[in-house]
Amino acid sequence: MPVFKAPFSGYSVRFSPFHEGRLLVATSQNFGILGNGRVHVLDLLPSPAAPGAPAIAEVAAFDTADGVYDCCWSESHDSLAVSGVADGSLKLWDVSLPSSANPVRSFREHSREAHAVDWNPVRRDSFLSASWDDSLKLWTLDRPASLRTFREHSYCVYAVSWSPRHGDVFASASGDRTARLWDVREPTSTLVLPAHEHEILSCDWNKYDECCLATASVDKLIRVWDIRSPRAPLANLAGHGYAVRRIRFSPHRESILLSCSYDMTVCMWDYRSEDALIARYDHHTEFAVGIDMSVLVEGLIASTGWDELVYVWQHGTDPRAMP
Amino acid sequence: MEKAINRQRVLLQHLQPSSSASSLDGSPLISASVCAAGDSAAYHRNSSFGDDVVIVAAYRTAICKSKRGGFKDTYPEELLAAVLKALLDKTNLDPKEVGDIVVGSVLAPGAQRATECRMAAFYAGFPETVPIRTVNRQCSSGLQAVADVASAIKAGFYNIGIGAGLESMTANAMAWEGSINPKLSQFKQAQDCLLPMGITSENVAHRYGVNRQEQDQAAVESHRKAAAATAAGKFKEEIIPVTTKIVDPKTGEEKQVTISVDDGIRPETSLSTLGKLKPVFKKDGTTTAGNSSQVSDGAGAVLLMRRDVAMQKGFPILGVFRSFAAVGVDPAVMGIGPAAAIPAAVKSAGLQIEDIDLFEINEAFASQYVYCCKKLELDPAKVNVNGGAIALGHPLGATGARCVSTLLNEMKRRGKDCRFGIISMCIGSGMGAAAVFERGDVVDELTNARRIQSQNLLSRDAM
Repeated sequence: MPVFKAPFSGYSVRFSPFHEGRLLVATSQNFGILGNGRVHVLDLLPSPAAPGAPAIAEVAAFDTADGVYDCCWSESHDSLAVSGVADGSLKLWDVSLPSSANPVRSFREHSREAHAVDWNPVRRDSFLSASWDDSLKLWTLDRPASLRTFREHSYCVYAVSWSPRHGDVFASASGDRTARLWDVREPTSTLVLPAHEHEILSCDWNKYDECCLATASVDKLIRVWDIRSPRAPLANLAGHGYAVRRIRFSPHRESILLSCSYDMTVCMWDYRSEDALIARYDHHTEFAVGIDMSVLVEGLIASTGWDELVYVWQHGTDPRAMP
Repeated sequence: MEKAINRQRVLLQHLQPSSSASSLDGSPLISASVCAAGDSAAYHRNSSFGDDVVIVAAYRTAICKSKRGGFKDTYPEELLAAVLKALLDKTNLDPKEVGDIVVGSVLAPGAQRATECRMAAFYAGFPETVPIRTVNRQCSSGLQAVADVASAIKAGFYNIGIGAGLESMTANAMAWEGSINPKLSQFKQAQDCLLPMGITSENVAHRYGVNRQEQDQAAVESHRKAAAATAAGKFKEEIIPVTTKIVDPKTGEEKQVTISVDDGIRPETSLSTLGKLKPVFKKDGTTTAGNSSQVSDGAGAVLLMRRDVAMQKGFPILGVFRSFAAVGVDPAVMGIGPAAAIPAAVKSAGLQIEDIDLFEINEAFASQYVYCCKKLELDPAKVNVNGGAIALGHPLGATGARCVSTLLNEMKRRGKDCRFGIISMCIGSGMGAAAVFERGDVVDELTNARRIQSQNLLSRDAM
């Protein structure tokens, strides 16, 4: 299946919600410690022109002065995407415009690294950012400044995820060992979930069950929660050898989720079944830090990591196998 | 860089669950590599390295009052030739082994001074193969020359070099040539670059509240300490006697003299005599001729080389060049330069200010000197212990090189308790420079040999 070699370490990958086979990739030089960043827009070619020809074409690439830690597509415009940059800024890109006209917006409020961004999939008019400055911020495209800052976490906020059902509800995950639920209509967080005893690096909502949230942590575990009874998790998924960096619920199957980890593997889980671990992909040769599952093509998975490679493959096939 | 270290720290914690949390498994498998040393890390270092840049010798001429002092009828290049020759004579170094000579010089026209320096090298006995150049970072030119040579040695351009400084304020006065760009009026800070230095001193005194009393007191101290040092013969080790001529201004009679003592020191200076002086730059100001540095002639030279070269040749190691920093400040208060440069140089040496045992801070004006000492909370017993430019004089380009010999000789006298020293000065047009030196005999050759804790399996043959 297609592989794309980026010049910098991969940090995040997202499928377009509008175009089948269009990908957004966030990368950072020198593992994101020091240097520049680049956002790639990639297209999967339906069938390679010739055997051996690349099956991925780069549509656009945008450079930043610092590493790019996360990115996501707009849910309202098919050509817009936003990225979180290590200098704390958020950059809005328009893929239909030449790179000289980009970024079309740069939002600068976070005082430290912007580590995660997520676009509201219900209202589609706003997005959230999470930063190492311990805060989250809510933004719309028509305002130069953030609408609101959510400041309750006591350490880096690593992840943010909008509820797929409620346009006002989102979850955040932080190094302060809590996940928090928020409603933008409320002044404070609505639930503090001390989900792990170590830093929490990622969280995601179940796409079919509005009360089901998953968290992933440095303690190598993934936990699935029913937020109505937050005292104990629904499931404990153990199997990664190091911190779990990112998790995504499947857009097609209720109980399936995908994870990637500092142990360099990408794993697929069914949290309802006894043997939860369905598949383990060990194609990356450095930390695997970015994953996504296509909404438009069932079973299509993308992953990226510090080995500077972006893989796209069908679940059940070998990511490294060339067509 | 701090940002990168922080990022590394955050990411590292993802791999190594913090110990404060209830431990899932005890032994951490991954640890940070030694790349972000903590505060004062250098203080614990006692191994020596062959590529350290060390100072083997540092000499200076006496510092004499310009137009009236001992060097008023001496060609500037004679002063430089004297110190360069002294380096060769005192060390028996083969002059053709010197990779480069860098001379700090401020007031003289650039091309003429560069040529004069080249001529001085010939007078001193250097062969044509040894190159020479000048550098101008205003009042810190001499220190910059030493730093330039240290960096070139570190970079591997050559193994042995000389950093020097030369200024004859008799021959070259402060002057501005040509017209002034009218664009200047739109740039406040560019405009401030043209302020007379005395006005910047008044600005420092006014902005940071340094009163006349404190300034005069500092001047008295400077003269007292310099006089005591001269009386005790402390400068004899660093001053090279220069035999030259002097012309009697009345009779026109030419006389041969040997100058070996600084002639600007006035041991009898007291608060009451200084108090009578009128401010020079501002009617209600505080800067007087008595509490400003003197206008002087002089030269200094410092011989630097790699430590392994010095060991091989059997030279004594006077000191180790540890770090250098130049930092910009507001031109209107250029005197605060050391307060900005010293912390930067100390930090890049991996130290803290408390670790520094001796300071040589140029007394351009008592106002800025007093301010810098107060701002950095320095112990007066550690600063300018043998007086400063108010008593000795400030031959602009030579001062940095002069300070190296004064500092290192004093560190030698003080013994092993005096390990780190710093030289700093403010710079006209708004900058400060500072360099950290370590005494040469602290390191222990034996500690270089590290005990092997376990078989590292590098080679089967080694087993």
